[in-house]
Amino acid sequence: MTAVTSTAPEPTATNPEVVYDVKDVTLRFGGVTSLNKVSLQMHRGEILAVIGPNGAGKTSLFNSLTGVYTPQEGSIMLAARKGDELTSILHDPRFYGARKSTATHLINRHGVARTFQNIRLFPALTALENIKVGVETRQKSGPVSAMLGMPWQRREERESTERAYELLRFVGLTARANDLAGALAYGEQRRLEIARALGTEPGVILLDEPAAGTNPAEKRELAELIRRINVEDNVSVLLIEHDMKLVMSIAHRLVVLNFGEKIAEGKPADIQRNPAVIAAYLGTTNDEPEAATTAQPEPNTTDLDSGPAAEGDES
Amino acid sequence: MRNSGLFNDHVKRLLGCLAGGVVLALMVGNQEGVQRDFGYAFRAAIFSPRLVVFLGFGLALFVAITYWSRISPYFVRPGARPLAAGAAAVVASYGLLHWTDSNQVTGGKLGALSSAVSGTDGISSFTRTFFGSVVPGTPWLLLVVVVALGVVSLVLRLPVLAWLAAGLGLLVGVWGYIAQSAVSDYLKTADHSTGAQVAILGYAAIASGCFVIARSQTDQADTVGFIERVFGWRPGFPLAVLGTAVGLVALLTATWFSPADRNPHLSGMTNLFSGEGLSAISSAYLSWLVWVIFVVALALAFAATYLSRQAFSWASIVIGLGAVVLTLTTMHEFSSIGGKSGFDGANGPWQNIGAGPWMLCGAFTMFAGAGWIALRQGRRVDPAAPTVVAKAGSNLNQVLIIVVLAGALFYPPTATQFWQTVIVAEIGIYVLLAIGLNVVVGWAGLLDLGFIAFYAIGSYTTAYLTGTLPIKPPDWLHLTPLAAIPFAIVICLLAGLALGAPTLRLRGDYLAIVTLGFGEIIRIVAVNADKVTNGPKGAFGIPQPVIHLGPIHIQWGQSALQFWYLLLVLIGVTVLLFNRLEHSRLGRAWAAIREDEVAAQATGINTTRVKLLAFAIGASTSGVAGVFFASQIGYINPDNFLLNNSILVVAYVVFGGMGSLPGAIAGAATLTWLPEFLKDQVPAEDRQMWIGAVILLMMIFRPAGLIPAKRRAAELSGFDGVKSAETVAVPAGEGM
Repeated sequence: MTAVTSTAPEPTATNPEVVYDVKDVTLRFGGVTSLNKVSLQMHRGEILAVIGPNGAGKTSLFNSLTGVYTPQEGSIMLAARKGDELTSILHDPRFYGARKSTATHLINRHGVARTFQNIRLFPALTALENIKVGVETRQKSGPVSAMLGMPWQRREERESTERAYELLRFVGLTARANDLAGALAYGEQRRLEIARALGTEPGVILLDEPAAGTNPAEKRELAELIRRINVEDNVSVLLIEHDMKLVMSIAHRLVVLNFGEKIAEGKPADIQRNPAVIAAYLGTTNDEPEAATTAQPEPNTTDLDSGPAAEGDES
Repeated sequence: MRNSGLFNDHVKRLLGCLAGGVVLALMVGNQEGVQRDFGYAFRAAIFSPRLVVFLGFGLALFVAITYWSRISPYFVRPGARPLAAGAAAVVASYGLLHWTDSNQVTGGKLGALSSAVSGTDGISSFTRTFFGSVVPGTPWLLLVVVVALGVVSLVLRLPVLAWLAAGLGLLVGVWGYIAQSAVSDYLKTADHSTGAQVAILGYAAIASGCFVIARSQTDQADTVGFIERVFGWRPGFPLAVLGTAVGLVALLTATWFSPADRNPHLSGMTNLFSGEGLSAISSAYLSWLVWVIFVVALALAFAATYLSRQAFSWASIVIGLGAVVLTLTTMHEFSSIGGKSGFDGANGPWQNIGAGPWMLCGAFTMFAGAGWIALRQGRRVDPAAPTVVAKAGSNLNQVLIIVVLAGALFYPPTATQFWQTVIVAEIGIYVLLAIGLNVVVGWAGLLDLGFIAFYAIGSYTTAYLTGTLPIKPPDWLHLTPLAAIPFAIVICLLAGLALGAPTLRLRGDYLAIVTLGFGEIIRIVAVNADKVTNGPKGAFGIPQPVIHLGPIHIQWGQSALQFWYLLLVLIGVTVLLFNRLEHSRLGRAWAAIREDEVAAQATGINTTRVKLLAFAIGASTSGVAGVFFASQIGYINPDNFLLNNSILVVAYVVFGGMGSLPGAIAGAATLTWLPEFLKDQVPAEDRQMWIGAVILLMMIFRPAGLIPAKRRAAELSGFDGVKSAETVAVPAGEGM
């Protein structure tokens, strides 16, 4: 049921560089197939949106891309920053932690930052400190130099504060630098989470429903922010979003998932006209027998703590 | 049943309060009955007439809760809280504290002293009147009068009455203080009691409360704002004031030297030592120099804080510290002379010294500290944050740090032998352990119930390296206890890693159980490995620390005080290092994994490494404590390292405020001090019960701990009330 596989390149680039190359990824939780042979390519510098009804496997895809879940089949190749070589994140020691599975923090270090569907800040740290945590994962000084107050440690500390203020300015939260993250308004928390992700100097940023729970004005600001991240910072953006207006206005390309399978891929204008997409969103009378019988709704994968694969993957 | 909800609530509350009164009646006093008759204590309490008193407490509590909405407006008026706090302090000093150490007075508390004094003719009537020779119970009566005047003036808003109460309060406080020192002069014993001091402080608080009542007519006290204004007005100024007060007490009323039957004040010292071969500078110091230095240091401290000129600050620091050194040398000199004369079995310097010179040292430290704060204040610029700086509520903190430091340096010598031992062997060691555990539990959020194991490892490492275990170290590795510290640190670090590596994928309760098991394993190995650890008999004769460095020879072991200063250095260094660590990259990473491990991982934090570091750093602190313990006590066995101790350390950290360095220190200090303090107050077998009650009340009314961590406070109290002074952003120009 490959309805449309439009491979329209990003408007400006002629021969796009690949950031994520996902081939035939299948992810199962016991008998439930969450992702079924999903393939997609993400190009450098584009805003790629993943859409689909609830339970379509969008967040599972995100978690697979960031190493939280390890898919049973398929391959995921990553070259997050410009000049990186495409490397498999599933079977490469560079992404292994102490234990033989893909380590989330190593993926982050190779240039993939993400935000969460249900905001996951560090609520008892201030906004500034939240961002500094992100910035400082790129620093080297250890506990001993911190205890002794070595000059290089002080320099790094200063740099991280400066960078964090820059990022606060970028997302428009300078005035709230010293407020606890948990005390910020919802929309501000969303922006702070994005700033924290940007602090880790990513080549790709994965935004999981950044507009959820925000009002129209905030949505417009958010769309503007995503564009600026994309253009000014040269960061490729992979976006999960339910708000069609937002998605259609900023995404260069879209991938549509339904019941764990990719049903369409293409430019916003094409997707809007795609019959399979319309069917998935509005329902059909008796079409799509395949999808209705083989795939079932996935378990709740939005909360990472409750996913079965997450249990084994914490370290 | 169609009771109205309100009525129902009232009945329940009344029953609850009365039941509380019965429980209190059971708790106060000796435990009665035998183990086979548990009901005896209950019956005794129920049928005893004193139950009426406790039921009265319950009733009063019921009334207070029920009509709280009518009482509370008065309670938040300006001056009410200092009044209440002062009254509580005075009540505590009257009821709980010692007023004399003389063994002629049984118990040494105010009641016993009063009845002893009022019947003694050799004491002036001025003094005897205070202790109730004319009207029995005079101290209590005076307190009631002063507080009643204050309360009436508060409720009716009568400034005249408030002035009266303030004046009367001060007079009573001073009267009590003078009366007590007259009595201790009469009894001619070295006096370590704190009752009169606390009472005068309490009366000072009452007087200041009444002063505020007289001056302010607003309905709502702005306590936080007031404290900020006071401490923000001229940084360090309050410290200079405090130093002046302490210094004046030291110079005028405190005992300076207490050999045999004399307790001279400063004024009597010249007389006592004339012709005893005191050096010129010391005799000058005792007769007039000390006053000159005091006035100069005082003037410099006030000038430095008021004008905030760097030159004055530096001068204040130099003069203050110089004065401390000079005071110490003088003390050394006159106490050596006293030692040669062999007063009270003294055989060397530093014996029989009164509280006066130590207090004066504290005062000079405070002057120097005032200069230091003024100096810091002038320099505070945050280069990284050009537009906004956080206005830390740090003035108050700095003042507190100086006061605590001065207390830690100069209070222990004035305490009794018993308390000196307690300060070292209980308070100091557990403070160090709590600081270590705070890293693991408070900062990284990993519950460790086997923490004492690392303490044991540190102790046994010392025993091994000093050659007191059945297995001997190679000759080149035979070390003194101080040299064993680095080894203990490394070994505990490795032990921390060894425990951490396999268990850190566990979370919460599971981790706690595994660490608990680890603690028990270490203890049981210590018990059973006879050939290595000498089993339950333990290691004997662990030598005491020595330093031989060129001309410097220091041999510990004569008194608990020596160990205290060694421990103070260890604690000070640890606090300094850990304070930096908390505000470093690693400290934030710990907070991050504690708050949300998944997010921390996604942000690029290597959670395994960060957790292991927490375990290793906490463990090595504990190892240092172990080295100290082993070499101080000289004898260790597995019974020193029970599960109970692990749990106590966790309780100290939680009580103090998880994740807060000052909290861990305060928590450990309070909860180790409390049982020793309670020895005087309640029967021995009741102590644990009262400690439990204190912890219970604490967790109900102040769940975040004594000194909550800024980062933690938000988690417990929600985020509505957290926009405190600490986090208010102000423009850089005003950030002073």
